[in-house]
Amino acid sequence: MSSLIGVQTQVADDLEVIDRVLHGEIDLFAELITRYQQHVARIVNRHVPPDRVAEVAHDVFVRAYSGLPGFSGRAPFEHWLSSIAVRTCYQFWRTIRQKELPASALTEEHQQWMERVLAADSDDRFREQARRREAADLLQWALSHLSAENRLVLTLVSLEGHSAREAASLLGWSVAKVKVRAYRARQTMRKLFLEQERQDHDATQ
Amino acid sequence: MTRLSDEDLNKVERALAEAHRSRQEPALSEDWARHVMRDIRRGAAGSRHLMPSAGLARVVWRAAAVAAMLAMIFAGSVLVYSGKDKLELTALLSHEFDAGAPLVE
Repeated sequence: MSSLIGVQTQVADDLEVIDRVLHGEIDLFAELITRYQQHVARIVNRHVPPDRVAEVAHDVFVRAYSGLPGFSGRAPFEHWLSSIAVRTCYQFWRTIRQKELPASALTEEHQQWMERVLAADSDDRFREQARRREAADLLQWALSHLSAENRLVLTLVSLEGHSAREAASLLGWSVAKVKVRAYRARQTMRKLFLEQERQDHDATQ
Repeated sequence: MTRLSDEDLNKVERALAEAHRSRQEPALSEDWARHVMRDIRRGAAGSRHLMPSAGLARVVWRAAAVAAMLAMIFAGSVLVYSGKDKLELTALLSHEFDAGAPLVE
């Protein structure tokens, strides 16, 4: 109950700050940045490379400021900002040129990692493997083969466990579009692994 | 490695989701926040500087909306009046027809 009151106070406080910012007290926007920078950084970090998080989070707050007159206040500011953060990440992947990204290729290490994951017979061993660098590399390799739309939706739905409705609200898409995209993205990723496995198999023959 | 089964692929996907969740939390510095505010202030100053053109754009859009509304009213009235003319014409023609009928006989 007390946490609910705390959230309501925060929401009312946000609305008051926003109102004052809209009436010309621009510097008060810094208060919103302080409150939500960690929240935004966490979202952005899940979608863009670590060395681009600061830059994309910067864009999120600039966009939020310019979009502030359109904030209706029906949903909490945090939700509205989350949606801007996800859409800014989507824009990041739409505009980034492929050559800007470091080329990654799978090596023998990654193949061995997959074998170790499949052989893991306990939760602890499985988690231990999931925390290894090879897991992160393999994930980045797979995501780099997807379009911006598929990448975002796969991250939200399959990796983070958001429902189709939540992902639709964050992306501003219909639930049906999210479901179709999520299915296609997952199939594409699975095909990538199968194709990679076939190539590795052919190479060892 | 043998051919990956659906179950294998599910396991790899779960491992990748776990890897995704265990990404390190980023930390943004105070300096970063200052940079954001500096850009926002600069943008706000720029938009104030552009205010006259923004105001002009608003006036142009309002004038266009009024013109479109007037055009619709005009078009509507033309349709109504032309409809009345048609009715009158029909009435006149039928009158002529009635008036002309005895002459034929």
